Amino acid sequence: MANITFPFAAVIGQEKAKNALIWNIINPKIGGVLISGEKGTAKSTLVRGLAGIAPWIKIINLPLNISEDMLIGSIDFEHAVKHGEKRFEPGLLYYANGGAIYVDEVNLLSDHIAKSLLEAASSGECIVEREGLSYRHEARFFLIGSMNPEEGGLRPQLLDRFGLFVEAEGEHDLRKRAEIARRRLEYEKSPSLFEGKWLAETKKLAVSIERARNTLLRVEVTENAMRLAASFAQESNCAGHRAEIAIIETAKAITAFDSRTVLSIDDISEAAKYALPHRARQQEENRQQQSPPDPELEPDASEADSNSQERRQESEPAENSRPERESSDPEDIESGKQDISENGNSEASEAEQEAPEQIFDPAEAFEVSSWLKETRGAIVKKGSGKRSLVTTGSKHGRYVRYTLPKGSDISDIALGATLRAAAANTKIRHANGMAVSISEDDIRIKIRERRTGNTIVFVVDASGSMGARRQMSAVKGAILSLLNDAYRKRDKVSLIAFRKESAELLLGITRSVDLAEKQLSVLPTGGLTPLAAGIDMAYDIVKAAQIKDKDLLPVIVLVTDGRATYSDNSPDAFADALRAASRIGASKYKAVVIDSDRNFVRLQLAEKLAEAMNADCYQIEDLHAASVLAAVALSL
Amino acid sequence: MNQTRHIYPFTAIVGQERMKLALILNIINPSLGGVLIRGEKGTAKSTAVRSLANLLPERSQVLGCVFSCDPNIPELACESCLEAMSSDEGAQIISSKMRVIDLPVSATEDRVVGTLDIEQAIKKGEKKFEPGILAQANRNILYVDEINLLDDHVVDILLDSAAMGINFIEREGISYTHPAQFTLVGTMNPEEGDLRPQLIDRFGLVVDVQGESDTALRTEVIKRRLEFEKSPDEFVSSYAQDELALSEKIVNAAKLLPEVEYDARMLEAAAEISVEFGVDGHRADITMLKTAMAIAAYSERKQAVVGDLHQAAGYVLPHRMRKRPFEDSVISMEYLENRVSGILNQ
Repeated sequence: MANITFPFAAVIGQEKAKNALIWNIINPKIGGVLISGEKGTAKSTLVRGLAGIAPWIKIINLPLNISEDMLIGSIDFEHAVKHGEKRFEPGLLYYANGGAIYVDEVNLLSDHIAKSLLEAASSGECIVEREGLSYRHEARFFLIGSMNPEEGGLRPQLLDRFGLFVEAEGEHDLRKRAEIARRRLEYEKSPSLFEGKWLAETKKLAVSIERARNTLLRVEVTENAMRLAASFAQESNCAGHRAEIAIIETAKAITAFDSRTVLSIDDISEAAKYALPHRARQQEENRQQQSPPDPELEPDASEADSNSQERRQESEPAENSRPERESSDPEDIESGKQDISENGNSEASEAEQEAPEQIFDPAEAFEVSSWLKETRGAIVKKGSGKRSLVTTGSKHGRYVRYTLPKGSDISDIALGATLRAAAANTKIRHANGMAVSISEDDIRIKIRERRTGNTIVFVVDASGSMGARRQMSAVKGAILSLLNDAYRKRDKVSLIAFRKESAELLLGITRSVDLAEKQLSVLPTGGLTPLAAGIDMAYDIVKAAQIKDKDLLPVIVLVTDGRATYSDNSPDAFADALRAASRIGASKYKAVVIDSDRNFVRLQLAEKLAEAMNADCYQIEDLHAASVLAAVALSL
Repeated sequence: MNQTRHIYPFTAIVGQERMKLALILNIINPSLGGVLIRGEKGTAKSTAVRSLANLLPERSQVLGCVFSCDPNIPELACESCLEAMSSDEGAQIISSKMRVIDLPVSATEDRVVGTLDIEQAIKKGEKKFEPGILAQANRNILYVDEINLLDDHVVDILLDSAAMGINFIEREGISYTHPAQFTLVGTMNPEEGDLRPQLIDRFGLVVDVQGESDTALRTEVIKRRLEFEKSPDEFVSSYAQDELALSEKIVNAAKLLPEVEYDARMLEAAAEISVEFGVDGHRADITMLKTAMAIAAYSERKQAVVGDLHQAAGYVLPHRMRKRPFEDSVISMEYLENRVSGILNQ
């Protein structure tokens, strides 16, 4: 299939993405680029357009549905059957050697495939030890990824693999917008005519890139420049030394593209803008565990490193106070907050210890919400991504690799792997007229990964008793951090509020955490407390959802002070609530109760509810997100 | 089984004008990006899609090709068709109708993208690709009922193919690439959950349907349905005239489309509307203009006018606007109309 792509040179705007791609072609040592941005911003158009301006670069498209054996290679099945020989059939990594791998929607890549990809990327070779094959080959490539952060984040290890990071945004200037649309329409009318029209521009760009590649060899890097790069990396607390290497290599490409051979300070700071954003946000963690200088690093660089460590000490106080002062800076809030949600498996950090005092401050709740809105907050994915790997008998989910069957339950056969196993043995068996004879030992079954997380149903008490403003904002703040966690873990959420005389389903089960957040932020309070109605509704929703999806893992999070004041069914509202709660308890749905009772004399009603629901109960003081998150995580 | 199954005529569908037009526009310009139909059950969604495919005249395709390759566009043909086309005899060509390929919500990934042909593998020890639903969907309509309930990873595959027009397969020892250019028609009931933002943006147009509220129209719906079920032959032939006229109108519009012009004012207006509504990216502007041009072609005009853009906005914007809290996921058309008119009448 001959394909004409939209010419790179004809893309308007997106200067950062264009720069990053061009620099990577000039100098593949930069280590690739991740383009993050809202939908419809020419992300993949640019990547595909690279073929026009750099035809010598091999760009291999990695489809999301790739299975592991196709990535790293396996036995050539046909050859095995016909000649009875084991021959290695290379996978995609082999073909990518010396070029680039492009993953569109890289944040949706299966964890397992991402791991194999990372291994090859970091070692520069692909090692295959499987199916009785032992093979290794060089696999040097750089990664180009594009993603829409609305769809979930990226695991930090993978994020760090990208030399550069850029954000793509829609154009706001009306005239430019109109021109973008005009060019697209012109292109669609006749792709070949359009391509021809832009041929001169494309050639021009290709020539200057070619020239820059030659110039690159002569670009000198001074010690000063290295020092500056190192201190940039240090100041933003990047893990390891990949950041400064990326800065230097990028600066070299910038210099070369500008037809110069001497690196300037401006080149370094320009490069840092691209090389640091996705690494800088791991700040808080690294402060704890100062990474020792890498012994393998060249003497020059480590010298620069220690230099900047001194410098850093001077600048530390200023840095420390920044998160508190500039609450508008999304990155700082992000990094501080991330730590809190990470608490389950990381050491206690400063930010976390301060959290309990701050949490009831309404401003805190606001901060959390503004930070949640920041799309950048979703770029880093913590933990394994999905909370629970569902491996039921269902054939749903993405086939990522295969294994030997356990017991006699053989339902989801991995055809390719089974055939390869059989092919290797067929020669010595009687093949009864078939080319391949499959015996029971050959059977391999599929391991599938399903990216569905949990379904968290929030049931929020919005009655008058919660109306004390500070109380509600504390609750909102806590739920928001839970929501944000749900967002990263690709959980689905649902939001139920009960007040006055009924429960209201504010948000049916959806993956749109964004919507839940919006609903929550405008949730009014006041009126009676129809607690039972709220719990019943949660039960109904979970039950209905489970009929649709058997693999569903529901968690009900009930936030209330337990002071039920209204029930349709019974004069004793609390008794009715208990009845509803015990129905959930009997159903074995997982549940967590968050007691928002802040009165001086505590009635411990929420605890009774929790008991009936067979759930853990947490005080609102615990709502400093870390422990609740841990609690929710535990109950999953 | 007696004779061929009768398909309810497209022109006999009562009401649902916006849905019908959206579907027609996608036939006129298949690159519009499909239609997402949101609404309750029993609103003739499926009937409309199937009857529209049935109404269109036959088109030529390579005989026996699972991808229904177009013999006139070798750039988009699959490998075997290319081979056949360049051979001395040339490819054998047949005429057939556009088909509606169903993608059931329960479909597994293997069936969607295609996989290893197990029979060939075992009998002959050969690796052959067994095409899946995406292969069949090429040049046809891919119909996904309840698309919001589709498994995540299947949605990813759909996105990949829809964006590139190509299906890449890397599985079960098979590396294969084939054309997958289809018109995606999805239906959903918004109450059962949203569609992922990335997928919803891929749909060029969105239509929110409701059952007819006018009693006279409702009665007419029932009357026609009963008539059709009683004597399908008669019913279908009584609409043959209308069907033919519409079919011709659509074919002519598709022919006229490349000649449709738009002016600079329209470009600016599209940009203005998109900015005003705070949409992400640029797909809205572009689709709005393309839709407006298709509307112009359907109205037998060579010049798209502001009114066309106005109409197009109603299809292109509802699912792309940033929603406000407590606003229904379905934005009122009236509100949209007012704001678009405001911009267009400046």
